[in-house]
Amino acid sequence: MTDDPQAAAPPRLKAQRARQLGTFAGLLALCIVLWAATPHFLTVSNLLNVLEQTSINAIVAVGMTFVIISGGIDLSVGSVLALSGIALAAALEGGVPAPAAIALALATGTACGLVNGVLITFGRLPPFIATLGMMSVARGAALMLAEGRPISGFTEGFRALATGRVVIVPAPVILTAAVYLVAHFVLARTVFGRATYAIGGNEEAARLSGVHVRFHKTAVYGVAGLTSAVAAILLTARLNSAQPTAGTMYELDAIAATVIGGTSLLGGEGTLVGALIGALIMGVLRNGLNLLNVSSFFQQVVIGAVIIGAVLIDMSLKRRR
Amino acid sequence: MTGEARTLLQMRGICKRYPGVQALRDAELEVRAGEVHVLLGENGAGKSTLMKVLSGAVQRDTGDILFDGQPADIPNPAAARRLGISTIYQELSLVSHLTVAENIFLGKAPTRWPGVVDWKRMRLDAARILESLGTALDPDAPVRTLRLAQQQMVEIARALTDAARILVMDEPTSALSEREVAQLFATIARLTAGGVAVVYISHRMEEVFRIGQRVTVLRDGSHIATRNIGDVSVPELVKLMADREVSDHYPRRMHARGEELLRVEGLGAGRHEVSLVLHRGEVLGIAGLVGAGRTRLARAIIGADPVEHGTIAIRGRPVRIDSPAAAARAGIGFLPEDRKQHGLVLGLSLERNVAMSHLGALSRYGLMDRRAERREAETAITTLGIRTPGASQRVLHLSGGNQQKVVLAKWLAAQAEILIFDEPTRGIDVAARHDIYVLINAVVAQGAGVIMISSDLPEVIGMSDRVLVMRGGAIRAEFSSQDVTDAAVLQAALGMAS
Amino acid sequence: MRRLCGFAFLGLLAAALAADGCNRDTRPTTGGAPRVAFVMKTLNHPFFLDMQRGAQEAADRAGLQLVVQAAEREIDVEKQMQIIENLLQTAIKVLIVTPSGSREIASAIVKANRAGVPVIVVDTRVDPKAITDNNLKVESFIGSDNYEGGRMAGDYLAKAVGGKARIAILEGIPGHETGDSRLRGFRDAIQPHPGMTIVASQPANWERDQGFTVFQNMLQAHPDIDAIFACSDLMALGAVEAIAAAGRSTRIRVVGFDALDDARKAISAGTMEASVAQSPRDMGRIAVESAAKLLRSEPVPTEQKVRLALVTKGSNP
Repeated sequence: MTDDPQAAAPPRLKAQRARQLGTFAGLLALCIVLWAATPHFLTVSNLLNVLEQTSINAIVAVGMTFVIISGGIDLSVGSVLALSGIALAAALEGGVPAPAAIALALATGTACGLVNGVLITFGRLPPFIATLGMMSVARGAALMLAEGRPISGFTEGFRALATGRVVIVPAPVILTAAVYLVAHFVLARTVFGRATYAIGGNEEAARLSGVHVRFHKTAVYGVAGLTSAVAAILLTARLNSAQPTAGTMYELDAIAATVIGGTSLLGGEGTLVGALIGALIMGVLRNGLNLLNVSSFFQQVVIGAVIIGAVLIDMSLKRRR
Repeated sequence: MTGEARTLLQMRGICKRYPGVQALRDAELEVRAGEVHVLLGENGAGKSTLMKVLSGAVQRDTGDILFDGQPADIPNPAAARRLGISTIYQELSLVSHLTVAENIFLGKAPTRWPGVVDWKRMRLDAARILESLGTALDPDAPVRTLRLAQQQMVEIARALTDAARILVMDEPTSALSEREVAQLFATIARLTAGGVAVVYISHRMEEVFRIGQRVTVLRDGSHIATRNIGDVSVPELVKLMADREVSDHYPRRMHARGEELLRVEGLGAGRHEVSLVLHRGEVLGIAGLVGAGRTRLARAIIGADPVEHGTIAIRGRPVRIDSPAAAARAGIGFLPEDRKQHGLVLGLSLERNVAMSHLGALSRYGLMDRRAERREAETAITTLGIRTPGASQRVLHLSGGNQQKVVLAKWLAAQAEILIFDEPTRGIDVAARHDIYVLINAVVAQGAGVIMISSDLPEVIGMSDRVLVMRGGAIRAEFSSQDVTDAAVLQAALGMAS
Repeated sequence: MRRLCGFAFLGLLAAALAADGCNRDTRPTTGGAPRVAFVMKTLNHPFFLDMQRGAQEAADRAGLQLVVQAAEREIDVEKQMQIIENLLQTAIKVLIVTPSGSREIASAIVKANRAGVPVIVVDTRVDPKAITDNNLKVESFIGSDNYEGGRMAGDYLAKAVGGKARIAILEGIPGHETGDSRLRGFRDAIQPHPGMTIVASQPANWERDQGFTVFQNMLQAHPDIDAIFACSDLMALGAVEAIAAAGRSTRIRVVGFDALDDARKAISAGTMEASVAQSPRDMGRIAVESAAKLLRSEPVPTEQKVRLALVTKGSNP
């Protein structure tokens, strides 16, 4: 029975920009600290290095951001990445021309994602459970298909996807940028993007308003599968090998990047720019810790601490409204 | 039966104001030991608020409460329980996995040593209490295996362990069979024989006369009258409940009724079946008490819940509505009762909410036309008079009245011709209410048809061209704007012949 | 309040890192000790810890600054590659690496070659095809002859069981040249003995708990196993525990590889039969000594085999 007094609060866009600025400031601060700590950080070659290393997580984070904005979660992205990679490699090994093999990989990833979507939408399984199951199934399928062994040895042309450069910019960076541009476009300017935010914000209200909830929810998981497949293609080119054990724990990195970037796990809000900054923060951190010769065990501690710190800051910013 | 029963509870001059609405206005209630005191009033009369004050769930603004002659302050439900005031709500508060005995002694299980439950004692005590109530329930039965009537017994038993002296029962018989009602009444008789007072809230007149000794009528938050049951008749009670000046503060309307817009026939599931007709230029009101099935009807029409039988025709042509998306396509808009939970995505801006029901129309090949979206939102702001800093304002920050305008804007932008309002002015202050009424009239004047579900009798009567009254999932009466009166509607809602 | 905590937290972390960085002397060592990087498969394994010890001793003697890093799990090829890429950004003079993936390591070596940093490979060979396909330049390979070691184990077992046995095999990570070579050596050694049949052969990824689970399952499927060859001691020890848990009355002979301390104890106690001893410490030492030679522009042999020895109850030093 309450009637809120007319609140003169700033419009939505400003608040979200403020948060993004905050995360970006965090990234900048991290870079400054590393620059002070070691002279090897702020060199062109190292920075390009970092961008290249971050690209895979950044791409997976795109799909994860879509899913989390829609109010769900996807724990299977790492395993789907592995399965897509094995599909790709098996095809290439079997003599299938690269474009077709790539298409096969993309189809594999998308199909896995759509299965998740159907289980969640029509099967009414909680996203956590459905994608947990897929995580296991896809991993098993990858191991079965590859008979436990990595598949490797591809053509120079294919590997150029990872090793090539345009001027000095590594190909993976260009690929990541392209993925982000397309994804941002979809999220910000299409019906699909609008529906995603609406469903994540309040699924029942969206449904009663006439939004095609089932269709869009299913599709969103398909997007996550698709981006996992894109990442798989990149990883396979980079290592010149597809391993059935690839992608282990990648879902956690993707969730971390998305959350650090300001996307709420409750759904309904978040941005891709944020996810990119989140992925960069993690990539810079790992790179810096390596440069500083910090033991890999301590690295894990640091990264966990950063995630906690970033979310604490983000939550406190939200609470002030 | 009563003779010189002493006063157990006295509530005087109770006032309670919520933002925008005065829920209780000098309300009074006097309850005597060992009596069954019925509390009557239509929706919004203040019964539940008064009981919330009594049970400590809500704090009064002013007024006194005297318990056993002593002034009593009831700051929270625990305090109420300590005094001996127990409430049994319609939604029972039992833990379904636990047994009857465990529920009866929830939180106060007898212990032998500190921290260790004495199961044997608990079971014995539970059996004793159940026996005193005249029921043979097994203390070890898990509560979830019991029928609703039996669960109610458990709740009553639990209240007794609190040494309840006043038991408030809110619509206790709404889900009971005849035989179970008789058993409940027998139990109540036992309780009152032991000196416990029962405050009985119900709409069912037959029961009121069967079980009650005295009756208090509330209306618009105030105490209207208290009578002995033997001294009063049903028509008198109805008049007391609804007698008010039909105020003139509903905007004048002058609509011409046009073609048939919506025809619903035999719609529903199971026993429930509803048929109605809506015309262009018409406001069709649907009145009824809580639980009459009005929201269920609305949700069935827009395809939010599956139906088993029935047809819907729009402008004479049959349509299949199996989802809210289909309803939106067919031009039906639904403004739900709980607009924050179901009507709006609070985290999104005004602009985005307005666009939500017709994203397809605002886009080309999946690409949103953002300028059109913005234009529509701004038009809505001006036409509907929405007070907001701008179209990108999150609707979370808007007041209730403005939020409702956004919901309306959403459907108007989607070009809905049939608008179903469920409690259109709930939680909205007086000034904004008037705006909504004006808008409804304007929309209807332009050829839309409006179905208005409302528990506010004056509102339904003041705004509608025709009024349907629902009870028990079916339409029981229809009135035209000429012959509709509060009393008539209320009687139909209660199921009494006029 | 929470925001302050968050920022303070991150700030402290940053300060800690900066201080840590200072302590580690990462300033360009112009005129200081040359930096040599040793990237291992993992540091979670006694074998590699021994290797690190040998390497550190040699580095101290040669006046080199040794940087040792590894991923957490041997399986994480991508991580190892990232570590190498990052280290190449610092001013390392030589790269020593025990590859987690014989073929996947190629891309990292390409980068090292391009940066002009000489590469020494230890323990696991780079896949020969990958070397030719990518024109890789590896200064030296230091390792045991894993094939030989596998043969030694096979020959020993054949003699011990008198040419007749049902054998189970626990493999390493598929695709690792070390494991593959040992396997081949073992199989070739028992080939001429028709009475020796391999009833099961599965990977346990070099890990002890996987060795336990996989062998336990094998026992379920083939209760009549007489002997087991595990491509590494950790897996062998896992199998030993599985045998104990199964409470077998007849003896199962367990042969491992690496001759870790725990394995030696097991051999003395009789729960293991034998193990092929590598010399990880020597590997580390020779690798760093080779690096020092390279820095002095001295030649270094392309293949440096490190000795193997079979450890049994009798020959346990």
